[in-house]
Amino acid sequence: MPPELEHQSMMMDQEPTASDTIREVAAEVLETMFFTEAELATCEHSWLAAAACARIRFEGSHFGEMLLGVSLEAAGPIAASFLGLEPVELTDTQHGQVIQELSNILCGAMLSHLWPESKLALLSPELTPWQEWPPAGLLHRCFTIPEGMLAISIRLAPPAQPAGNQ
Amino acid sequence: MAYSVLIVDDSPVMRSFIRRVLGLSGFEVGECMEAADGEEALARLRAHRVDVILTDINMPGMNGEELLRKLGADGVLKRIPAVVISTDATNERILRMIALGAQGYMSKPFTPETLRDELERVLGERDASRA
Repeated sequence: MPPELEHQSMMMDQEPTASDTIREVAAEVLETMFFTEAELATCEHSWLAAAACARIRFEGSHFGEMLLGVSLEAAGPIAASFLGLEPVELTDTQHGQVIQELSNILCGAMLSHLWPESKLALLSPELTPWQEWPPAGLLHRCFTIPEGMLAISIRLAPPAQPAGNQ
Repeated sequence: MAYSVLIVDDSPVMRSFIRRVLGLSGFEVGECMEAADGEEALARLRAHRVDVILTDINMPGMNGEELLRKLGADGVLKRIPAVVISTDATNERILRMIALGAQGYMSKPFTPETLRDELERVLGERDASRA
């Protein structure tokens, strides 16, 4: 592990409630703003190949990224529930925007719970295929929701190097 | 009494969600306007009567921090209470936005009831200060 990651990784390892935080925050976000319920599930990732996914990076006192995957059959109903529309009324653009917004809300809420005294900035989420990240230092959970499946991975990364300082 | 609300957020789906939650909350909304950034918000505020502003922080163009600075520097617009709605619930960010003039701060996720309570609180404070 690169030296610049060791300190951050230790902070995540020493945080005894990090896994609980992912579970609690995901459940709260989905219930409060998406009007659905999330329960922890055993990881079985074959569905993620076709999932709607968004990645969001964060920087500040901690650097890293979060990846969100929502199973294809769940993406439409979740977006419709968020907007108070019927699934058939949604455009593809709205589908993508809601998945990005969900990743933004989840990431901000999780980081604020994990490190309330930190100074963090979230970058704009982007739609991307799912990626299986190496397990070292990774926080990962899968959930079942009534509409399908949801997966969240968070990992820390080295601070970005200033241009010309590579 | 129905209040006019300005929602400032670069995400169209988040603006739609806030509209929806306002409707679910029982808060009496009259006119509900939208802006995608601080610049557009200022134009709306100069052309329409607005009772309360709900603003995001991270937006391209003029962000929420700059919008609060502009509002604070305007003798008329600074009387309109602004509530920040953000994913960032870190103490540093909340204190920073309050210091810039935000009267309220809502971190996501939030319920219709907490949004209604926060709007009633800031508007109650505004009315008390005018009495």
